[in-house]
Amino acid sequence: MYAIVRRASLARALCTVALAMGLTGCVSVYVDNKLPEVPASQFAKPAQPQPVQLFFEFQTKGVQNQRGTAMLKDRIAEQVRSSGVFASVSDGPVDGGATLSIVMDNVPTSDDAFRKGFVTGLTFGLAGSQVGDGYLCTATYRPAGAAEPIVKKARNVLWSTVGAAATPPGAVKAESIDAAMTAISRQVVSNVLNDVTHDPAFR
Amino acid sequence: MTSLNQTLIRTARLIAMAGATAALTACVSVKMPAPAASAANVEKLRAAKAAPSQVGTFKLAAGKPADMDTTLGGLRGSSVQPTAGTFSAQLRDELSAELKAAGLLDAASPIVIEGELTDSRVDAAIGTGTGRLAARFVVKRGGQKVFDKELAAESSWESSFVGATAIPAAINQYGALYKSLIGKLLDDGEFRAAIKG
Repeated sequence: MYAIVRRASLARALCTVALAMGLTGCVSVYVDNKLPEVPASQFAKPAQPQPVQLFFEFQTKGVQNQRGTAMLKDRIAEQVRSSGVFASVSDGPVDGGATLSIVMDNVPTSDDAFRKGFVTGLTFGLAGSQVGDGYLCTATYRPAGAAEPIVKKARNVLWSTVGAAATPPGAVKAESIDAAMTAISRQVVSNVLNDVTHDPAFR
Repeated sequence: MTSLNQTLIRTARLIAMAGATAALTACVSVKMPAPAASAANVEKLRAAKAAPSQVGTFKLAAGKPADMDTTLGGLRGSSVQPTAGTFSAQLRDELSAELKAAGLLDAASPIVIEGELTDSRVDAAIGTGTGRLAARFVVKRGGQKVFDKELAAESSWESSFVGATAIPAAINQYGALYKSLIGKLLDDGEFRAAIKG
């Protein structure tokens, strides 16, 4: 009986993969455009920028994703560095001891973890052959000697459609998955950085 | 929209990202990325007011199968390679990365942290995936053993019947065990006392 169940499961898995492979060339990705990138010129930069130690972690449903972290780490660091908010950005300890942690968590938009605590603004619940992947970004800035950190969050959605499915409303089609990830990471990181710099506790 | 359709679309996107060749073979071999420090573990080190330490020998525990240190089964034919050749060295490098980011890695320190890998496994089974990483950690100060304890990190997760979904998820979960195990070590009161400045 166990052998029959195993064979049925295997057959189903093979069919699904075969179908998915057939659809590979028909997958389109879109970035929800309700969270545009904030230009660095709008950040509230301090009169005397300070050095900061940067930590970045990419997660999948709350679990550290080493490969995602390795893929995006340098891009995130360059975005923070080029923002001009900090005198220098290092992965080691810095004078003053300030740290900035950026965590990007990829969760399905259907998850409560993605929906909770945010004013509805993004497009949810699309029917049909569309899948939404949420990207929840959390920035935690700890100035040296501060009792409490500054914590800011932002989120965006990457939509995937198959075949001739309609464009998700309020979304912009990306040239590729890599282009979509670049756009989403820049959008969410720029928003949390902007919010951090405008926090009264940020100096 | 059915969950099967959602799985189909996500799988297709994964395949597009991974490349056709990998999808066709249905077996992948990935190398773990070089360890990077985490804010959480670095905060634990700083809160512990730890003294600078050096990281000594990390090896496979005596009596364990030799291939535990170099190979990982349970991935439906796929494999994971440690960055530095062995999983015990991977654990060593994870700890070193955290100490270095906290400004506490000192090759000349009289405090030496050593380790022995005692368990390393993952299973991308259909239904529930599981993973476990365990090691015996030893701390010596000036040659005297002041800490000796085996710790383990475990996880379980929902595992798809579709290999293209289940295998990356299992690889991801296994990789996360290293930060989790280091975190458990840093949470241990006796370890914190052993490395206190």
